[in-house]
Amino acid sequence: MNEKQNGFFANLAEKLNLRYIGSLVLSVLLAFLICAVILAVAGYDPIATYGAMWNGAFDSLRHVGDFLEYAMVLCICGLACVLGARVGIFNVGGEGQLLLGAIFACQIGIWLQGTTAWIVIPLAAVGAMVAGGLYAFIPGWLKVKQKVDEVITTIMMNSIAAFLCQYLAKGPWKNANKNMVAATARLNADYWFGNLIPRSNLTTAIIAAAIIAFAVWYVMQKTATGYEMRITGSNPRFAFFSGLKTDKIVILGMVVSGMMCGLVGMFRVYGVEHLYRASISNDYYFEGLTVAMIAQYNPVTTIYLSLFFAVLKIGAQGIELIGVPSQIYLIMQTVIIFFMAAEKGISESIQKSLQARRAKQAAIARMKGGVSHE
Amino acid sequence: MGEIAVQFKHISMEFPGVLANDDITLDIRKGEVFALVGENGAGKSTLMNILYGINTPTNGEVFIRGKKVEHFDPGVAISLGVGMVHQHFMLVPSFTVAQNIVLSREPKKMGVFFDNKGAEKETEKLVKTYGLTVEPSAVVQEISVGLQQRVEILKTLYRGADILILDEPTAVLTPQETDELFAVIRKIVREHGMTVIIITHKLYEVMQISDRVGVMRKGKLVGVENTSDMDERKLASLMVGRPVLYENLDKEDDIGDEQIRVDDLVVGDNRGLVAVDGVSLSVRSGEILGIAAVEGNGQSELLEAITGMRKIESGSVTIRGRQINGMDPGAIRGIGLAHIPEDRISTGVCADASVSDNLLMGKERNPEFNTLGIAQNNAAIRKYASEIYEKFDIRGAGIDVNVGSMSGGNMQKVVVAREFSFDAPVLIISQPTRGVDVGAIEFIHEQIIQQRNEGAAILLSSADLDEVFRLSDRIITLYEGKVTGEFKASEITKEEIGYFMTGKRETEAAHE
Ligand SMILES: Nc1ncnc2c1ncn2[C@@H]1O[C@H](COP(=O)(O)OP(=O)(O)OP(=O)(O)O)[C@@H](O)[C@H]1O
Ligand SMILES: [Mg+2]
Repeated sequence: MNEKQNGFFANLAEKLNLRYIGSLVLSVLLAFLICAVILAVAGYDPIATYGAMWNGAFDSLRHVGDFLEYAMVLCICGLACVLGARVGIFNVGGEGQLLLGAIFACQIGIWLQGTTAWIVIPLAAVGAMVAGGLYAFIPGWLKVKQKVDEVITTIMMNSIAAFLCQYLAKGPWKNANKNMVAATARLNADYWFGNLIPRSNLTTAIIAAAIIAFAVWYVMQKTATGYEMRITGSNPRFAFFSGLKTDKIVILGMVVSGMMCGLVGMFRVYGVEHLYRASISNDYYFEGLTVAMIAQYNPVTTIYLSLFFAVLKIGAQGIELIGVPSQIYLIMQTVIIFFMAAEKGISESIQKSLQARRAKQAAIARMKGGVSHE
Repeated sequence: MGEIAVQFKHISMEFPGVLANDDITLDIRKGEVFALVGENGAGKSTLMNILYGINTPTNGEVFIRGKKVEHFDPGVAISLGVGMVHQHFMLVPSFTVAQNIVLSREPKKMGVFFDNKGAEKETEKLVKTYGLTVEPSAVVQEISVGLQQRVEILKTLYRGADILILDEPTAVLTPQETDELFAVIRKIVREHGMTVIIITHKLYEVMQISDRVGVMRKGKLVGVENTSDMDERKLASLMVGRPVLYENLDKEDDIGDEQIRVDDLVVGDNRGLVAVDGVSLSVRSGEILGIAAVEGNGQSELLEAITGMRKIESGSVTIRGRQINGMDPGAIRGIGLAHIPEDRISTGVCADASVSDNLLMGKERNPEFNTLGIAQNNAAIRKYASEIYEKFDIRGAGIDVNVGSMSGGNMQKVVVAREFSFDAPVLIISQPTRGVDVGAIEFIHEQIIQQRNEGAAILLSSADLDEVFRLSDRIITLYEGKVTGEFKASEITKEEIGYFMTGKRETEAAHE
């Protein structure tokens, strides 16, 4: 009897998941359809555009490498957001944490110029994590101790970080090159992450990222710590009542989230740009956050969706070659989110009306069948 | 009284894994008080949620005053004159009483702006008509549960309900408040011709208030009777399927060392006013100290301060010889304390987590559940949770569903089961059987006495005076945050204690 029940709930869980996947696929298809209409109205050939998009991502190894690198960025940023959400804090400040991580990691490499990479790279990683982590600690602490809303503080701190980095890159840490206005000096090539696919952005950083992603998934899903985080995020009063140090858990969740963002900054510098400038991130954290939201803060789904959106994004560069604006990618992303959000309400109302219909039919059947009960 | 207010025809309701209602056919007459009783998880709330349009039945039909309900939706139900006060309240905590009452039908100034004065006037009017006294401008999160319930009732009346569903309204009330509520019910039935359906686990209340009673068991309606043809015993055995005997509890007399000591304790309430005003008490091992007090006289704040959930303003609390001022609940639990909180939904469970996760809480770091400290041992956790689930006779759709989907009484059993599983030498217990059926009350009482006999020091607070008397060795009365008397449970009667609960001091009462 118990066995049967277990089986039943395993099935149910599967079904629910299938429903999510189904609605995701449907949203994606609808998004493609709607964008096709938009493209057609704007005078572009949708088929050709999607073809170009496919080519943009898959026509060469180099592009494959590029989208893998971007998937890595999305994935770590997305998981950072998931981690915060798990303990009940919404980290909107990842962009600032990423920028600070990037600039400090970069500067460490410049200060230590001449030292072996075996020392510089770990130090830079630590520096990036400390910068990102500390910067996340502030809103985390404010939320827990002073009840200041983290969404507001982190958004404001994003601007502060962006300005601070801009100042540093234009002022004290500016490079000697007169033509580059707001950038730090270039890192010694010894410190660069090695390319995994020549001429692409894909570097050995993805190995570190994979390890981080696995570790985050493992801690969240498989350990007592993950369990405590989940309970804290879901009912903090119950968690506190039960003896958990909820303040610590929330702050720690936020700090680790910030550390991950800082590391992404370091990966961007040591892997791709080799110096700090503002283009190190174009709101990449926000795209990661969007992915996490679409994934309903599920770590595994976040990883898969990162790949999908990375393909779209790199593919979108391909459509520019045939003269279509790459912003079509943004429209698509927004439409998908829109449908995912609407799906919940729509499917619920469909279910309700189905239930009502079934009840009615049953009643009619009973009436037609004449007397059945009593 | 021939008119029919509500008709259920062959109603079935299936949730994943449970058939909560199983082919129920029932008529409720206009102008009657209909009591619905049954064990925890029997499907009472589910049936009422169908009438109120929250659930759409998987099968069957509902007629309200002869009119078939086509679309199950609370908005439709309200427009058909159905009002419901839920087992777990649904008020906006940060709004005032008046704002909550007029919610969704707000009086407007110039047709747009919320008219606060108007809302308060409307509330005053309702209060006068129905005799349910509340302060319209008070903020809901700052008033007692008993008062919050009045707000819920007024809300339905404001929306024009003439069929009122009350889901375990008396579970959170003191005897006096219950009497007041019953007076109101009689008044609205007699003077306003309303129909009232009331769910309760207290069978004497069924006898007191209802005209007819329906008994549910495991989703089925197993009997509908005129209350005058029934008595409590018959009802109980119809409900549980066996006779329920409140046998005398075996109390061993083996009182040991002092485990809880409270000295001159002062604690504030949510508004920052003094709630506990210089309380001192002491509980020894093997003893139950009961607190008898009318809701809102500081008992909640007192227990919260002892367990670390609330700040101590002055004075001291000592648990097993260690002063706990300033410690958090985790540290205090570490000394050997377990706590059944007054409010299960907000504090006692994590509604969005599974039953097994809820039962595990506090033990997740035990080596047996935490392999090598790096991985949760799911097999062991499931086995443990299943055992407790069986032992406490929790009834629901198994250990994998969210606690939030369980019936109220079974949710309470989850809390009790978890807190007892620590075998803590100090137990702080608040409302242990709130919303629990008669059979399960018997079981929980036995468990409490067993803990006591095994040497636990227990501080108990309950709105149910019978419960306080049945379990306690000593009783203290609290009034406005002060101790007004202390008695051996065997040496005082319920009537006498009522006197102290309303503020008369021991010294004034009898010079002994
Ligand atoms: N939303 C839901 N999802 C899944 N199961 C549910 C849901 N609501 C109720 N149930 C299940 O239906 C059964 C009946 O629950 P219901 O709340 O009606 O019981 P009840 O008679 O009101 O009990 P109590 O006296 O404890 O309040 C229970 O087994 C419960 O777990
Ligand atoms: Mg119920």
